[in-house]
Amino acid sequence: MSEPAGVRVLDDFAWDEVWGAAKGAAAPCFQCGVCTAVCPWGLVQKEPVNVRRLIRLAQLDADGWGEAIWLCTTCALCEVRCPRGVPVSEIILALRRLAWERRSVPKGLPTMLWAVHWDGNPWDQPPSQRQAWAKGLDLQPFTPEHEVLFYVGCTAAYDRRSQKIARSLVALLRAAGVSFGILADEPCCGESVRTAGQEGYLAEVVAANVRRFEEAGVRKLVAVSPHCLDMFRSHYPPWDGFRPLHYTEYLAELLDAGRLRFTREVRGTVAYHDPCYLGRRHGIYDPPRRLLAAIPGLMLAELPAAREDALCCGGGGGRMWLETHAGERFGDLRIREALGTGAEWLATSCPFCILCLEDSAKVLGAERLKVVDVTELAVRALGEASLPHPALSPTGGEEKGEGAPVRGAP
Amino acid sequence: MIPSAYSPEAARGLWVFLEQEGGQLEGVALELLGKGRELAQARGVPLTGLLLGQGVEGAARQAIAHGADHVLVAEDPLLAPYTTDAYANVATQIVLDRKPETLLLGATPNGRDLAGRLAVRLRTGLTADCTGLAWEGDTGLLLGEVSGFGGGVMASIKCARHRPQMATVRPGIFPLPSPDPERAGRIELVPVSLEAGEIRTEILERVRHEGVDITRAKVLVAGGRGVKGDFGPLTEFARLLGGEVGASRIACDLGWIGRDRQIGQTGFVTRPKLVVVCGISGATQFTVGIKAAGLIVAINSDPEAPIFEEADLCVVDDLFPILEALIAELKRGMP
Ligand SMILES: Cc1cc2nc3c(=O)[nH]c(=O)nc-3n(C[C@H](O)[C@H](O)[C@H](O)COP(=O)(O)OP(=O)(O)OC[C@H]3O[C@@H](n4cnc5c(N)ncnc54)[C@H](O)[C@@H]3O)c2cc1C
Ligand code: SF4
Ligand code: SF4
Repeated sequence: MSEPAGVRVLDDFAWDEVWGAAKGAAAPCFQCGVCTAVCPWGLVQKEPVNVRRLIRLAQLDADGWGEAIWLCTTCALCEVRCPRGVPVSEIILALRRLAWERRSVPKGLPTMLWAVHWDGNPWDQPPSQRQAWAKGLDLQPFTPEHEVLFYVGCTAAYDRRSQKIARSLVALLRAAGVSFGILADEPCCGESVRTAGQEGYLAEVVAANVRRFEEAGVRKLVAVSPHCLDMFRSHYPPWDGFRPLHYTEYLAELLDAGRLRFTREVRGTVAYHDPCYLGRRHGIYDPPRRLLAAIPGLMLAELPAAREDALCCGGGGGRMWLETHAGERFGDLRIREALGTGAEWLATSCPFCILCLEDSAKVLGAERLKVVDVTELAVRALGEASLPHPALSPTGGEEKGEGAPVRGAP
Repeated sequence: MIPSAYSPEAARGLWVFLEQEGGQLEGVALELLGKGRELAQARGVPLTGLLLGQGVEGAARQAIAHGADHVLVAEDPLLAPYTTDAYANVATQIVLDRKPETLLLGATPNGRDLAGRLAVRLRTGLTADCTGLAWEGDTGLLLGEVSGFGGGVMASIKCARHRPQMATVRPGIFPLPSPDPERAGRIELVPVSLEAGEIRTEILERVRHEGVDITRAKVLVAGGRGVKGDFGPLTEFARLLGGEVGASRIACDLGWIGRDRQIGQTGFVTRPKLVVVCGISGATQFTVGIKAAGLIVAINSDPEAPIFEEADLCVVDDLFPILEALIAELKRGMP
């Protein structure tokens, strides 16, 4: 059958497939194009990612979405703007799932998924090293008697830079007198599996983890990464008493309860970068700001695009495992914004954000701006007396290479 | 089920297809010899190399030094460049004559091309693009780990009733074995009957991309932001060591060196015997690219640099005077 030029015929099978994969989520879209207009790729590439068209393709037939589906950082900027409430990134992940079936996926993702499968983490590191970040800290294995489970997550457990966040958080929890434990065989939450579009494998990961958490008697859980938090809050079936929190929420609670106190001055100005998975995904804008504001001597500056408007660091949606060309990284724009505020610190509360922003700061030669985690500034504000372990002191005493909680601050 | 061209009972031995280019074995062929040696030993069978080409005597000896017990050499001028028809016809004939139990090929463009042809002609199964190989405990069958990860599938694939059990293996998965020039082995010339008329393609011109492949380098000298734009001493040092220059992502981003030399998470994962890391802080995104290196030497002026956690030898100093001294020393030792 031949069609007149320019006429496309819907492929019924493909239609069912895409419709089914995205669970009909694309239906409400009325093609206004707001998503395309706000998508940050338009800021770094000549051609913006035509998000509207992707949604149209998902409404109609299966072909022609191309490479664009792998660019999405799932930052949700388009979602908070969409007048029809279309879950754009969910639809894009559904298209990724179909791309796997068609075997057209970017290099790097299969390796990452195999690492999750064999070693329980996307960083391709040996499971035997999962506790290495906590060397010398004498952490306890979690029991139901503990107030909280400290869920470290793969990045803070393995990535050298991010390990410092986990160690700072330990110092803060101890200073507040929180009883907490960690899981000796902490499993990967599955976030990288989800954003890679591996829905089937994700279901296995989630089911195994829920069993593991229930057996261990996990109720209140404190996560380092907003990405893990999002998994537990939005993609795990809720169970009785399960209350996953981001550390900024939990520390703010401790602050309110008078258990955590910042007594030392930290002089300077800090700008705060809202991680997408904390802010837009879970509305957690205030707790990190409250923590920073509670530090004596510290001034808070806002970036031009803050809170709901915040620009993504570029590391979400599986982009940590894919190369982004130099000059096309959102982090560069964010660093320029931060330099414009005159702040000496750019603080954030997500390991992916830290990695992307710090890398951009180096590439741009932004030497006077230090990228830090909120915990790293908070630890500096603890009184000396409340520092329970020499290895955690912000001014040294650490063994070489164990990752000081704070380094490089002026 | 259609049976294979010969039965499991008739099949013997482990073979590796030795892909060569201009008489030089491809890296993956050497890697397969290393892994093949291990698999052959575990099974108590000899390791046979299958080598097609013209003027490949040297490559045959190289294969023995790298672990082959026996190399079957098919020489013919028509086999000098790789063509699908010539290689498929000759290889099919030899396999049908000798009946190997297992046949491994590198998952290079030519290896993939040939493997598919052979599998169809021999009516056997092919596990493509493996990232791991092992013998299954009770059955002794070859298990190919397939990293397709497509459609949610993760699989170990075996071929139970057809022979040879065939697999293509991704380059860079297995380590390069160290050659032993003293190793003894048998080189056997096999007769080739090949007519020019069988080959339906004609090679008009061969264009080689003059790029580097840092994943194959035995020695790497890697530079980062600490190199401050001057890769000169690193290049000189690498040349004297017979190695290649690699880089951190930042060094590539800043345009100091080509992207084809980026080591790491989103660059290349390398496995050199020696890597000298100069002026690189040691972010995890970089170190994943060198963790399989034999020996890691790090030169960094910051004693707190995380790279020292990974390094076997740590030099806390400015990299430039150190490299200068090393270069002078190496040059002195040369005629
Ligand atoms: C998604 C993503 C993917 C990434 N992928 C990769 C990747 O594939 N590969 C990669 O490398 N990075 C990658 N990165 C970047 C990575 O996180 C680091 O930013 C990067 O590796 C740092 O490069 P560097 O060590 O050269 O620079 P720096 O971290 O700035 O380190 C420079 C070092 O040089 C030392 N130095 C300075 N001067 C001298 C001197 N004269 N003598 C000796 N030492 C000196 C300093 O002490 C310092 O330790 C990625 C980042 C992200 C976010
Ligand atoms: S903003 Fe929403 S309604 Fe408008 S085109 Fe995008 S997905 Fe459709
Ligand atoms: S989620 Fe972010 S990156 Fe993805 S399409 Fe929307 S605006 Fe673009």
